Parts: sequence; structure tokens; C-alpha cells
Amino acid sequence: MRPDTIALSRGQRLALTAASFALIAVASMALGPLISGSGWWWMCAFIAAGTLFGGAGLRAIRTPASLVPVLELVILVLLLTLLFGGTTSFALIVPTTGTFTEFGELLGGAERTIQQQSVPAIPVPALTFALALGVGVLAVCIDILVQTVRMPALAAAPALVPILIPGFIIEAGAEAPTLVLAAAAYLLLLRVDVRVRRRARIMAGDEGDDAATVISPARVPIASTLGATLGLAGAGLVVAAVLAASTPSISTSLLLGTGNPSTIFGRGVSPFIDLGRDLRRPDPSPAFHYFSPDGERPYFTLLTLDRFEGATWGVTDTAIDGDNTVDAMPRPEGLSSEVRADEHPIDVTIDEVRTTWLPVPYPTTRVDGLRGSWFWEDGSLAVRGIDADTAGQRYQANWLEVDPTPAQLRAADRRVSDEFTRFLALPDDLPQVISDTAAQVTGTAATPYDAAVAIQAFLRSPDFEYSTEAPVEDGYDGGGFDVIAQFLESRAGYCVHFASTMAVLAREVGIPARISVGYTQGSPSQERVGGLQRIEVDSHDLHAWPELYFEGVGWVPFEPTPGRGLVPDYSRPGAGEGAGPPIPQSGSAAPSASGRAAADPGGGITGTGGGLALADSWWLRGGVIALLAAAVLLAPAALRAGQRASRLRRIARGERPADAAWSELTATARDLGVDVGIADTPRAVASRIADREGFAADEAGAALIVLRDAVERERYGPALRTGVPDADLIGALETARAALADDERAVDRIRAVLIPRSLVDRAQAAFSERLSPGT
Amino acid sequence: MRRPSFARVAAWPRLTRRGGALVLMGVVLVSVSLWFDLRDILLLAFVAIAMPAIAALFVSLRPPRLAVYRTFTPSTIAAGTSTWVSLSVKNRSKRTFDGAHWRDRVPDHLTAPPDAVLPAIGPFERMLPSGDDTAHLEYRLRVSRRGVYVVGPLRVGVTDPFALARIDRDAGSARELVVTPRVTPLDAALGTAASVDGVLHGLQRRTHPNSDELIAREYRYGDPLRRVNWAATARRGELMVREEEQRGDPEARILLDTTLSAHQRGSKHEFDDRVHAGFELGIEVAASIGVHLLDLGYQVRCDAVADPARGGIASTSDGEYHMPGGDQGLLEDLARLDSPTRSDAPARRATTGGSSAPARAREARMPGFAVLVEPDEHDTANLVALRPGFEPAVAFVTESTATRVVHALEEADWRVVRVRRPTEIGGAWSGSAVRGRAAVANDRIAATGDARPAPSGTARSNGHDGRADAS
Repeated sequence: MRPDTIALSRGQRLALTAASFALIAVASMALGPLISGSGWWWMCAFIAAGTLFGGAGLRAIRTPASLVPVLELVILVLLLTLLFGGTTSFALIVPTTGTFTEFGELLGGAERTIQQQSVPAIPVPALTFALALGVGVLAVCIDILVQTVRMPALAAAPALVPILIPGFIIEAGAEAPTLVLAAAAYLLLLRVDVRVRRRARIMAGDEGDDAATVISPARVPIASTLGATLGLAGAGLVVAAVLAASTPSISTSLLLGTGNPSTIFGRGVSPFIDLGRDLRRPDPSPAFHYFSPDGERPYFTLLTLDRFEGATWGVTDTAIDGDNTVDAMPRPEGLSSEVRADEHPIDVTIDEVRTTWLPVPYPTTRVDGLRGSWFWEDGSLAVRGIDADTAGQRYQANWLEVDPTPAQLRAADRRVSDEFTRFLALPDDLPQVISDTAAQVTGTAATPYDAAVAIQAFLRSPDFEYSTEAPVEDGYDGGGFDVIAQFLESRAGYCVHFASTMAVLAREVGIPARISVGYTQGSPSQERVGGLQRIEVDSHDLHAWPELYFEGVGWVPFEPTPGRGLVPDYSRPGAGEGAGPPIPQSGSAAPSASGRAAADPGGGITGTGGGLALADSWWLRGGVIALLAAAVLLAPAALRAGQRASRLRRIARGERPADAAWSELTATARDLGVDVGIADTPRAVASRIADREGFAADEAGAALIVLRDAVERERYGPALRTGVPDADLIGALETARAALADDERAVDRIRAVLIPRSLVDRAQAAFSERLSPGT
Repeated sequence: MRRPSFARVAAWPRLTRRGGALVLMGVVLVSVSLWFDLRDILLLAFVAIAMPAIAALFVSLRPPRLAVYRTFTPSTIAAGTSTWVSLSVKNRSKRTFDGAHWRDRVPDHLTAPPDAVLPAIGPFERMLPSGDDTAHLEYRLRVSRRGVYVVGPLRVGVTDPFALARIDRDAGSARELVVTPRVTPLDAALGTAASVDGVLHGLQRRTHPNSDELIAREYRYGDPLRRVNWAATARRGELMVREEEQRGDPEARILLDTTLSAHQRGSKHEFDDRVHAGFELGIEVAASIGVHLLDLGYQVRCDAVADPARGGIASTSDGEYHMPGGDQGLLEDLARLDSPTRSDAPARRATTGGSSAPARAREARMPGFAVLVEPDEHDTANLVALRPGFEPAVAFVTESTATRVVHALEEADWRVVRVRRPTEIGGAWSGSAVRGRAAVANDRIAATGDARPAPSGTARSNGHDGRADAS
């Protein structure tokens, strides 16, 4: 760990800095698959360049070496202020207290956005700030390793940080070209360092009379060494690629027993809402409230489940498109201009619900007044926040009240266009009862619309009972097809069962279907503001309902759950023949005017797969953190032990053995708190140590004298073999060290092992490196 | 050495600290990758593991072709001084040679410069050499002890371009560096002693005109006219010239104790178990005397005390030295003299056997100098036996010489001079001369400390005077 004290010229420092910059820039490229766009990378590169080359400039004007890393951090803060400080900064780059508050908020936002965004993430300011900060800190680390400690090989550790991240988040990990480039950049750094080191050593020469004079050839072509360098690097990369490709993937279950490593760091975003938990809550918590004219009370969609995998319903995890800003949402799929659709503004104020999905009616044309970055998803038009959540939001949504006539719905084409075939997907091993029921219920239906109406009517028939207990008691809670089959047998369940059953039956008969999860229309309060009624929505209004797709009309909601919500006009049997305004229909089992279930226990629609994995991941995460903490805590002791081992090796091998023994003795003394300096002569140190009680014993004192004489003879005597054989030295060293340790309390001894003070001295020596002599 | 060849592998390729760290990092990454099923990281993990391995393969499969030329300036040095070791490393391959470190291999107790960067060397220039295919390395090597040191070969550590693996190779070959014993300049004082009597007089006698019979030869074209020996010409009837060749050089003999027969084996010296200080001192004394005598024009014969008849102290020479070049030869032989060690002492003893020195009853007695460190009775007997052939006979003894040996020598009329430190050599020499001229009673052992020599200038002039007197 001895620092290389050869002073480097400015040009050499600059070359090292450039290579370091290439390394960190390429390494941060590895984050590419996680973040969309490339602007963030340019910004990271800018930050890294500013920090690294700023450090090079500081070194060029001979700033003390120990100050340079600190000043680099200052440069980093200035650059961050320039880019993110906004109006809080003073003279653009000087941060104020306001700036740091801003930074704190950005970091908080970054934490949220990392939890909430799925890949590729939108580079919102908070995320870019976190990236810039991270890259800047890594750049400073690399600079310390390369320039101050002069061990560029270790620069791999900071550079690996951004390279490791993608592997934990997405399956594919970092892209192969980036990895190859990163390896190449690392090798470039090593090569530059080798050249710089050689050049510096030749330039510096050796001091003293007996130093060798080296006369180099005047000109040497570097082309052939370039060839060797490239050849070697290429061979290494090719061999590594072959090895990596041919290594079998060891299943993690063999090693860990449990599956998905992604749960450790939360790969992707879990969008599911545990409906049952919120419905089970005895006292509903207010979710949000909105103001709306009478009669305009839509359902609020949080998210849409479109994937039925047999056991559960799920969301197709799509990446957020950065262009899908909520101020311009598209016209919903399939809605033709012939269908009547009125736009209604609605003011929503969030009370207590806290999620990254924004409750908005489907379809919505625009949302205003949101804080943070929110984007809509293609198809479902669900709105997601990536660096903020719903807490405290207050926004205005323009929603479309789509009011198709039965005739329009009947006219819908029976054929389903390709893009909607995925909404027809059903598992192959569908229970027989489902297809039988579908055939039986929709046997007479002439059109898909009639079939849908028939299914809804079938489910709303008195045969089916709204019950939150029955599924739990009989053990068929959830949304899988086994559950649906049993539900069709026992005919009791709640919204999850009704919605998933209707969706599956609709798919069975060829109607694209999906399930929306959200809130029912809520219950109106007495408060009225300017002709608008205030409507409260609470956690008991959570609901799930099927939406069916009709060509020309789009996604149309149905309400198969008896006693909940509103049954749309168009979906009543015989609708169209007798037109009338939509009336809230209270089923017989409806416990309240809003059609809300009093208690709805049991699991959610999406099954209970997550809990176990989470627990495992906690074990794992805790283990990893404990291991890391132990490694960090034990690192000094390990370093010290390694140092001792290498000195003992030197003694055994006879490379200045007495010197090694003496260094070890002084280091031990230093660890134990004896005040011995680097500059003290062996005699001074020995006399100081000999005063201790442990050395009153003859044996210890003699050992000390043996060591002292040996080192003096070796350092100052003629360059001959020392008189004391190596074994004697080791014995004397052990005796003396034992005598040193004997005097201390056990606590101090342990502290000496865990926090060796001699290492601090060495580190200080490393950081007070010599300055370049004006070259 | 002259032929460029692939540098030999001196050790297995090994990973540098950086390479080791990379492998470690790769292993950790592989386990992380498999544990969390991160297939993407696997690529980087294998890069980290494969690169050092490939680098090790790379350095072991691409041996550099280097030619190394090594010179010492000066080529022979005295102990305690330094020489410049120059290495020129030529690249003989068509590729640039880069990424290497060099370290010269020297014997253990010498210090060569530490591992240093070998600059990049351009490809071999068959045509129009501009010197870009050569790097010059130069360092100063200090040697404190006499001896013969094998310097080299050059150890070249080659690393791959990323410094992940390294292999050590030996380039070029080793070369001997002869480090001669320190020579203390001595006063010419001894020239005044009766030492020169026999042989130098003989020389003068021979060069006397009366002996022209022996030294005249017929005239050959090109001989200067002044060298014509008219007397011989008249006698022979043809033109004769003087042959001014020294036929009878003055001769002196040095007997060196090389075996330390009486040395107490097993006595432990704390520092220099392998270097016997007294022995080194003896060699310095012998070297100083030998060079001094050679400078004075003597032919010097150097033998071991234990076996004076064997001839020479080194196996390569017969022990006869004369100018020019004799001083270098003597010093080199002394440099090559190994310290007598425990193991080979009995062997030496065996070779020397019980041969007693033949008493050379010579018509002319030569100066004899014995340098004794730890002689035993056998050596003493040899010296006593040789005494009649020497005039003067001076024995330089070190502290470790046993008192009874000293007494025995004094009984046999050897003049005994004590030398304790290298700095006393000059004084001891002058002291012996002073005593020789003053003819002090033999029973007193000369202590060099109190027998301070006269200032060297006067001593030297005395010497000249004395010599003039003698002649």
C-alpha cells in the first residue's frame, strides 16, 4: 500500500484525468437501458468532466494534494447548483441555504421516482439530480484512487457501481457493447498509467550518488507497442466473452433456495392494490373528494388489469413514454365521433389516499394542476406519477362522458382487430364450467353486445349473492379461474369475483375484456359550492369492474356486481327500447346508498404472491447489509493483518528482515497508543518502549534489544548479512509484541486490532504526497 | 555475449500486485454474478480474470532479443574505490522493446541500483544505425573489499503493456570485476638497507664494461653508432654492439601466510565470519610491499609460507612477477586469493605436506619478507629454514600471530615488525628500514606506534642517498 511518490508533470496528470473521465463516462453509459433519452448522460458526463478536469486544474496550480478531493467536491456542488439550483442560487453557481433545501427535495423525489418508475425511466429532474450527484461522487472517488493513492487498478470499484445497477433492475442487465467499452476504458486507464509511471520514473531518475544514469534512445516508434497493447486487450476481451458465453447459469434456487433476486432491490414496480385490505378497514378513510354538478358522478380508475394468467390478473408492465404528458391525453381507443361524448371538468382534491396511480375517470382528456411528473399509459389511459405520489394533490380533470346507444353497440364489428387479441387471451386449461356457463348464458345472443348484457344480467340475477365472507370461508378468494369456477358453483362473492368472472366469460365469447380497479362514484355530501356538489370518496368505495371493448365505441364499463355502483343504461337488458336517465340502482344487498360493501375481507384480485417474496428479500437484504457492515468494520483489521503477514514474509525471505521486524514492532506500538513517530530513530523508540512495564522482564527487554540492534545494523551498518538469523528475529518480534500487548487492557487490545492507528499514519503519509516540481 | 539471442528466463512469470488485485476482483465479481444471476457482469468478471492470465502468457511467449555489452571503467579497481559499470543494451528484434525494468545482478554484499525503468528501445536498425536501438545504462559500483566479483548478467523484468504480469529474464552474460587489495605507498627507505647488496651488485657487475664478452653481439642494421663496442670489435674483427639487456634482475621474495594454519576454528566473530580481518591485512601488506619492490625494479617472487617451494600463491601463475605489468599481475593474484575457510584448510595442509624448504645456499642473498597472520610451527620451521637465503629478512606479523612464533623467528634472526591496522603499513615499513639501518638489538619487538618514521620527503631522499652509497 505504499504510495508512489514520484511526482507527475501536468501533462501526465492530465492524461490520467482524461483516462479516468473516459472510464466514468463509459461506465455511466451502462445505465442507458434504465433511463430513456440520452440527455441525462450528457449531463453526467458534464458533471464528471467538470469535477475531474477541475481537479486536474487544481493540481496544475499546485494545490496541496490532501485538499484536492475536498475542492473537487466543492466543484461538484457548484456544478449541481448551476444545473439544479435554479433561482435559489447566487450568481448562478453559488449555493444558498435554499439551494440545499431544493437539493434535499430533489433527493426525496429521486427516492420516490426510483421506487415508482419502471424502466426505462423518464429522466425527471429529481432522477437526473441523483444521477449527477452519484456520478460526481464516483468521479471524485476515481480521482482519489488514480491520482492521490496512485492505484488506478482499484478505480474499477467505483466504476462498477453504475455497471452493476442495471443487472439488479432488468433481466438483461447492462448492454454488452457498453460492458466491452467499459472494459476497454479501464484497460486504457491502466495503459495510460503504465506509460505515465514509466515516463515519470525515467524523468525523475533516482537520487543519490549511486543512482544509475540511463540514456534513452532519442526516438522510439510507439506503433509496435500499440499493436501489442491492442492485441492483448482484444485477446482478453475475446477470451472473456467466450468464457462468459460458455458459463452455465447456475440457478439461483440452488444457491439461495428462493427465487427471484429482483425482489431485493424491487425490480420494477408493483402496481397492485390490495383491495381486500382497504375494504376490510372498519372505519373508512377518506380517499379524496371532488366537486361535480349533480348527476355527473363517474367511476375513478386507478389502473387497469389486462393480463389474465390463469391464477391471477396482472398488468402488462409497459415503460412510460416520456411524451405522454397529462396535459394532452389522447382520445380513447376505438371511440368514433358518432358516439356521443360530452366533456366535463371535475375538481379533485386528494385527502388520504397515497399511491402513484392518479384516480381519474376513464376516459380523461387532460389533467391540470398536478405537482411532479405524471404520464398516462397507452390504452388504459391510467395516469402514473414517477417522482411524486398523490399525497396532497389537487387537480382538475376533463373527462368524457361516453354515452353510446345500444344500437351503436350492437353495430360493433364482431371481428376483433389484431391489437386487441391480447384482451382475448385465456389460459388453455380453462375449467369446463366456465365455457359451459358462457355457452349457456350467451347462447341466444345475436351480437357481442347482447352477449355482454346477458352475462351482466346473469351475474346480477338473484341467484348470485353479494358476500364478502363466503369466498374466504370456502377458500376460493382471488381472481384465478379456479376461483371463478368455484364462484360459478357456489354463486357468492364480491366485486373481485363478479368482475373477473364477467371478464373471463366475455373473453370466452370473443369480446375483448379487461378489469379496471378504482373507486366507485362516491357518496354526495350536503356541501355545495357554486352549484357544484361535493362528493366524498373513501376507502370503502374501492371497486373492480369489467370493461368490454366494442369496435367504434371503445372500452365500455359494465357493472356485474349486485349492490355496488351504477349500472350503465346501455347495459340493461332491453335498453334502447325504453330510454331513461341513469338511476342509481340499489340492489337488495346494498348496504348503503352508494352501493358500497360494508366489509370486504380477503385477498385482492391479484393474489397473494408478493408477501412471501418480500419476507425473503428482507432476510436477504438484511444479510447483505450485515455482511457489508461487517466487511467495512473489519476492513482495517484485515488490512493490518495483511500488512503484518507481508512483513513476516519479508523477514522469512530475508529482504531487509530487521527493518521489517522493526516496522512491525513500531506499528504494533502505535496501534496500542504508544507515542512513537515515523521520524523517531530506533534507539529513541526502543527507549520509549522499554520504559513500559512489560519490558521489565529480561526476556522481553532482550528481545527488544535484539530487534533494535538488528535494525540499526541493517540500516546504518555495512551492507552485509545481519548476524541474527531470521528465526531469532521472528521470535524476538513475537516476544516484544506480546510484551507490548500485555500492558494494555483487553479493551485497548481489541481496539488496537480493530482500529489500528498505524494505518492512519500511513494514510496520512499517502495523502501528503509530494508536489510536482513545476514541470 | 556478442551474439544476440533470446534472453533467458530467470523465473516463472508472475502476476504483479495489480494483476493479482484484478484476479481477486474478477473472482469476487464472478461469485456476485452467479449469486445474483447477473449474466452481464460475468463478462467483466472474466475480463478481470482473463487479462492477467493472458498477460502472463504474453510475457512468457515474447522473449526479447537483446544484446548487452558491459564495460568497467576502470576495469580493475582497488578496494575501497568505485568503478563505473556501463551497459549498452541493444534491441535485436524488429519490434520496439518496451515495458521493462532492469537490475544488474551483483554479488550479495555489493549494492547495485534498485529496480529501474528500462526506457523503450527502438527496433533493430540493420541499415543506417542512428542509435535508437540502444539504451545506455551506467552506474557506479563501490567495492570495499578486494576480491573477484562476478557482475551480471543483466536482469530484465518484462511486463505486459498493462503491467499485470511480469517475467524476469537474464540478458547478456556476467563479467568479472577484479578488485585489488589496497596498496599503501611505501617509502623507498628499504633501498638504503643492505638488502640490495647481493643481487643489485651482481647486476652492476654484469653491466660493467669488463664483462663485454657476455654482452656484445654483432652489429645489425639500424643499431645506433654510439652502442658500438669498440673493444669487442677490435677483438672479434667485426663490428660489435653492446647488448644492454638486464640479465640479472634484482630479486626479492615475499612469503605470505595464506593458510592461517593456527587459526582457531570455531571462534566466532560477530560480524565478519567469512572475512578474516588479519588475513586481509596480511594481503594488504604483501600487496604494498610487492608493488613497492616492483616499482623499485625488483623481480618479486611471492610464495605461500606453508609451501614455499610450490611456487606462487595463485594456481594460474608461477609466482614470479616483474615489470612491466608485474604489479597488476601480483595484485590480481592477491585479489583472487580466497579467504582460508574451515573446510579447505586441511586440504591445503595436505597439499603442502611436510615438505621442508630447501635451504638455498645461494651465493647472493635476496631480501625476504614474510607476512604472517596465524602461522603454526610448520610454517615457522619453513621460515627458519629459509632465513639463510635472505638478507634482510623481515617478518610482518599481525596481532593474531602467536608469541612463540614471534620468538622462534627472532631466535632465527628474523626481524619482526608488528602491523595492527592497514594505516600502520607505511610506518611499519619505515620502521623496519630504520631498525635495519640502526641495527637495533633483535630482542626488542618493534612497535610501529613509537617508531614513527621520519617525514617522507627526508626518508625518500635518504633512500636515494643510501642507494647511491650502496652503489
